[in-house]
Amino acid sequence: VMRLTKPTLFTNIPVTCEERDLPGNLFNQLMKDDPSTVKGAETLMLGEMLTLPQNFGNIFLGETFSSYISVHNDSNQVVKDILVKADLQTSSQRLNLSASSAAVAELKPDCCIDDVIHHEVKEIGTHILVCAVSYTTQTGEKMYFRKFFKFQVLKPLDVKTKFYNAETDEVFLEAQIQNITTSPMFMEKVSLEPSMMYNVAELNTVDSAGESESTFGARTYLQPMDTRQYLYCLKPKQEFAEKAGVIKGVTVIGKLDIVWKTNLGERGRLQTSQLQRMAPGYGDVRLSLETIPDTVNLEEPFDITCKITNCSERTMDLVLEMCNTNSIHWCGVSGRQLGKLHPSSSLHLALTLLSSVQGLQSVSGLRLTDTFLKRTYEYDDIAQVCVVSSEIKQS
Amino acid sequence: SNAKDAKSASGEDDNRDIVQQKTQEEILFHEETIDLGGDEFESEGNETVSEDSNNFVDKLNEQMMESVIISDSANNSEDDTGELGCLQEIVDQMEAKDNQKTQTEVDKEEFLSNESETEHEETPKDISEIGTDDQASLKEDSIQEAVKEEPKVGNNVPVETKNKNNVDESTPEDQMLSPSTTKPSSEAEPIPVCTIFSQANNASSQPQLFLPDGFEPQMVKSPSFSSIIETPVKYNPQVVQPSPSLSKFFGDTVNTNTLASDFFDSFTTSNFISVSNPNASSSVPEQMSSSLSNGGDGSSSNPTFPVQNGRPEAGGSPSSLEISQSPKPFSQIQAVFAGSDDPFATALNMSELDRRNDAWIPSEETRNVLISVATQQYSTVFIDKENLTMPGLKFDNIQGDAVKDLMLRFLGEQAAVKRQVLNANSVEQSFVGLKQLISSKNWRAAVDLCGRLLTAHGQGYKKSGLPASHTTDSLQLWFVRLALLVKLDLFQNAEMEFEPFGNLDQPDLYYEYYPNVYPGRKGSMVPFSMRILHAELPQYLGNPQESLDRLHSMKIICTKILENLEQGLAEDGSMTNITQENRQASVQLWRSRLGRVMYSMANCLLMMKDYVLAVDAYHSVIKYYPQQEPQLLSGIGRIFLQIGDIKTAEKYFQDVEKVTHKLDGLQSQIMVLMNRAFLHLGQNNFAEAHRFFTEILRIDSSNAVANNNAAVCLLYLGKLKDSLRQLEGMVQQDPQHYLHESVLFNLTTMYELESSRSMQKKQALLEAVAVKEGDSFNTQCLKLG
Repeated sequence: VMRLTKPTLFTNIPVTCEERDLPGNLFNQLMKDDPSTVKGAETLMLGEMLTLPQNFGNIFLGETFSSYISVHNDSNQVVKDILVKADLQTSSQRLNLSASSAAVAELKPDCCIDDVIHHEVKEIGTHILVCAVSYTTQTGEKMYFRKFFKFQVLKPLDVKTKFYNAETDEVFLEAQIQNITTSPMFMEKVSLEPSMMYNVAELNTVDSAGESESTFGARTYLQPMDTRQYLYCLKPKQEFAEKAGVIKGVTVIGKLDIVWKTNLGERGRLQTSQLQRMAPGYGDVRLSLETIPDTVNLEEPFDITCKITNCSERTMDLVLEMCNTNSIHWCGVSGRQLGKLHPSSSLHLALTLLSSVQGLQSVSGLRLTDTFLKRTYEYDDIAQVCVVSSEIKQS
Repeated sequence: SNAKDAKSASGEDDNRDIVQQKTQEEILFHEETIDLGGDEFESEGNETVSEDSNNFVDKLNEQMMESVIISDSANNSEDDTGELGCLQEIVDQMEAKDNQKTQTEVDKEEFLSNESETEHEETPKDISEIGTDDQASLKEDSIQEAVKEEPKVGNNVPVETKNKNNVDESTPEDQMLSPSTTKPSSEAEPIPVCTIFSQANNASSQPQLFLPDGFEPQMVKSPSFSSIIETPVKYNPQVVQPSPSLSKFFGDTVNTNTLASDFFDSFTTSNFISVSNPNASSSVPEQMSSSLSNGGDGSSSNPTFPVQNGRPEAGGSPSSLEISQSPKPFSQIQAVFAGSDDPFATALNMSELDRRNDAWIPSEETRNVLISVATQQYSTVFIDKENLTMPGLKFDNIQGDAVKDLMLRFLGEQAAVKRQVLNANSVEQSFVGLKQLISSKNWRAAVDLCGRLLTAHGQGYKKSGLPASHTTDSLQLWFVRLALLVKLDLFQNAEMEFEPFGNLDQPDLYYEYYPNVYPGRKGSMVPFSMRILHAELPQYLGNPQESLDRLHSMKIICTKILENLEQGLAEDGSMTNITQENRQASVQLWRSRLGRVMYSMANCLLMMKDYVLAVDAYHSVIKYYPQQEPQLLSGIGRIFLQIGDIKTAEKYFQDVEKVTHKLDGLQSQIMVLMNRAFLHLGQNNFAEAHRFFTEILRIDSSNAVANNNAAVCLLYLGKLKDSLRQLEGMVQQDPQHYLHESVLFNLTTMYELESSRSMQKKQALLEAVAVKEGDSFNTQCLKLG
C-alpha cells in the first residue's frame, strides 16, 4: 500500500561556470547531460521530472485520500479466489473503499492485483486503513490476512469570524482564514453561502478600470501560517428587513465554503458550520440616522434625518428633547410630541442643527421620553460630522 | 504488550482511546473473519514494532505518520493492532491456526519494513560519522603540520626548513603538474628549483622572442607587461646557474610561440616570487610590502639576486601550478585569434579579455587599500590581518565511494572489487586529470585532487588563517573545489572552506594588490562563477536571506559596470579607451552575468517559496536570456501548478504556445506537449497526462522526462506493472543517461510497493549503477538502507 499524493517536481542545484574558468564548459555540459534539467534553460531550478511521494506526508480534512493497493503474489504458487477488501476505520464509522467486491479467480506467481482507492476525508483524527486479503491456496486451504495502516487527519484551516452591524440593517462579516498546513495553499474559492434571510455581496475585489481585481493582489495563495481576511456584506432580504423585530437575537447568517488546491492541483474543500450572530439589541426604541452630510460649514445650519423605530412590544408615546452640547446647537423646539408609535413601526424625523466648533464633531444630545412609562432614552454620539470654516469650503 | 502500547501511543491519547474503543467494537464485530498468525508471533511483532516506532516518532513530527509507503509491512499493522489492544484478546480467543504461508509472508514484510525504517535513520548518522571522521583526521594531521610549521610562523628567517616542507609536499605533484615541461626532471633534482628556473627561463625566453633586450617601455600599456619587472628578469638567466632542465625549457620555449605566450603569465609571477619577494609563499603582507620596498625598484634590484639564488624554492609550488594551468586559457585565446602569431596582438587581446572578465568594483575600503598599494609601492603598506584572505583546506578528503560501500554490504566483496572508478591517484595530477575526474562524475576524487593541487600551492590543510599569496590559478582551483562540494550536496563543507574568503572583496583578491606579479592588470582574481556560488551557498544551508543579500550586492555591481560601459568608461569606471567592438562584447558579457545573478535570485526566491517574487524574478530573467523565454514561461507555469493555481498555470502555458508558435522544431513541440501533460496532471486527469507524455515519446523516444513521467502516470492509474516495465525499459535502453537519481528513486519506490522482495531488484540496480556511475552518485535514491 502506498499513499498516492501528487508527485513532486524534481529540483536540481545549478552550478555553472564560464568558459574562461578552469573547468571550461564542463559544469555546463554536466548539467546539459543531466536528464532532470530543463533543456535550454539548465539554470532553472524547477525541473520537469516527476518524482513519487517520498513519505506519507500530511493529510488534511477535506482532502482526498488516495492510495494504491497492490496485492502481489511473492510465492511460486498460483492462488485462487482472491478477495481484497479495503476499509477505512474512523472514530465514528467504517467505510468500504474497495472499488469492486468481486473475487479475482486466480493470481499467478509474481503477478499482482492493483487497486487505487479514493476517499474524501471528512473527519479529523486517527484513521485506519484496513486491508484484508483472503485467498485459497493450491491445496485448497483458505487463507486470510489483513494489515492496518494508520494515519492522522489534521485540520488545514483556522477560520475566525467577526460581525459588524451597520447602522442600516446590513451586517458585515469578516472572516479570517489561516493556513495551518505546512505548504502553500491556493485559495480557489472562498464564498459565503447566506442563509435564507440574507443576500450577500462579496467585498474582496476592487473594480479598477472595469476589471475586478482581487484585494489580495497577485498573491493568489496562502503561505503556511498566513492569514487572509475576507469581507462580506449581508443585507437582509426585503421581506425580512421590513419586519424590524424579526432579525433579533441569534440568527443564522450562512456558511463559508472554501475550496483550495495545493501541490499540482491536489484539491481540498471545506464548509464551516452555520455562522451565527447575535443581532444587536436596540432596546425599546431605536434611533438610526437616515441622512447626514459629511462636511458642514461652521455656524451654518444643516439637516439630518433620523428614523425612530419602536422595537418593543407596546405602543409608545414619545417626546423629543434636544440638548445642546459645547459644539452642537439644535435648531427648533425641544420637547415636541412625536405622537404614538406602534410596535415595529417607525417614523422619520428631520432635524436641523449647527456647529460652533470646527473639526470633527459628534452629534449628541437627543432625548426621547416615553410618556406612558415615563422612561427616557438618551442618544449621544449618534454620528459625526466634519465642520469646516465656510471660507475654506468655498475656496 | 500494554506497556508498549502506552509507549507508542505518545501523542493524542484521547483521540486514540476513542478510536481504540471504536475499533475494538468494530473488530469484535468482524471477529469471525479475522485470521491472524499465532499469538506468539503477534507479540513478537509488537516488540520490535514499538521500539522502531518509538524511534520513528522521535524523528518525525506528529503529523508525519509513517514513511513513504504507509508501510508495506506487517510492522505497522502489528503496531496498530498493538494499539488497538483488543486485537490481542481476539487473537487469544482465536484458535491459533497457524498458517505457514501467512506467517512467512508477514515475516518477510517485517524484515523489509525494518530495513526501510532504519534506512531513514541512517542517513543522518552517516553524515555525522563522516563529519567526525574528518575531524579526527583533521586533528591528527594538524598535529603533524603544526610541528612542521612551527618555525615558519611569525618570522621569515628559517625559510629553508619551511621550504623543504613545501618541497616534500609538492614534489610528486610538481612533476605531474607540468607534464609538458617538467617530465624530464627526475626526482633526484630539487624540483622547486627546477620550476623556478623554468620560469626564469621563460622569462629569459621572452626577450628572445621580442629580440630587443630592453624594450620594455613599449609594452607598458599592456597590463601583463611591465618594464619594472622585466628589467630584473632579463638578468635572471645570467645570474642563475643553468640546471640540466634549463636548456630543455629554453629549447621548448624558443621553439614554439605558443609556449612562450603560455608561460607569459607565470613568467611574471615567477618574477615576483623570485625577485621581488623571495618569501612569496610565506608572504606575510607586511613582509611582502617591505620587501617590495627593497626590490620593487626594478633596476636597483641587483642586491636581491643572491637572495633569489639562495632560496629559489620559495615560490616553487605556486609557480609550478601556474605553469600547468596557464595553458588552458591561453590556448583558448589562441584558438580565437588563431590567425595572428603576433605575440603583441595576442597579449593585447588577452588584456582586453582579462579586463573584461576580471572587472569588479571593490568596496570603498578595499579600493583605498588598493590605491595605497598602487601609490606607495615603495613604502610599506600595512594591512589588517582581517582584511586578508587566508584560505586553507578544512577537511582532509571526502574521497570514498558510497556505491562501493553498498556493494560490499549487499553484493559481497567479490562484486565490490569489480567496481573501478577513477580516483585522485589514478589520474594525472594536473588540470587535465581534474577535468577527467569531473567529466567521469568522480567528483569526490576531483575535490580531493583540487585539495592536493591547493596544498601544492601552500593553501593546503590547516593553512587556513596563515598568510597566503593568491594567483588566478589558486582561485580557480578553489572555485572548482567549492563548486564540486556544492554539487555533492556537501554544503557545510563548502561553507567552511568559503569562510576565509569573506565576502570575496578583500584587497588581496585583486590583481592591483600584486603590482609586481600582475603589472598593470586590474580587477578581481575571483572568478565570477565563484561569486555566484558564494552567493547561492547560504540558501542551501537554510539561510536564503543571506543569499539574497549577496545576490543583490552582486546585482548592484553588475548594473554599475554596465552603467560605466554605457557612459564610455571602462568596466570599473576608469577612463580607458575601449574600442566599440570590445565595448559591445563587454556589455554582452556583463548583461549575461547580470542575467545569471537574476537567475540565482529567482531560484533562491523559489526555494524560499516566495512564489510571487520568484515569478517576477523569472520574468526579468527573460529580458536577459530572451532565447530561454519558452522554457522560463513553462517554468513559471509549473510554479503555479505547484501552488495549485491551475488557471494561471494554464495562462502561462498558453503564452508558451504563442511564443513557440513562431519557432517550430522538435524542442518547442515537446515543450508544448509537456505543458499540456502537466496541466492535465493539475486537473487530476492522469490518463490524459499519460497520453501527452506518450505522445512526446513518439516524437522523441529518448526523452527521459517524458518516459519517467509517463511511468509515474501509469502508477496513478493503477498500472504498477506497466509503470515498472516502462521505467525498467528506459533504464536498460540507455543506462548512461537514465540512471538518474530521480528515475531510480521512482523505480525503487515502486519495487517497494510491488513486493516485499524488492531487495533483490534494488541490488540489481546497484550493480547497474556500479558500472556506469562515478563516485559522486547519490546512493540514497536506491533506498538500500
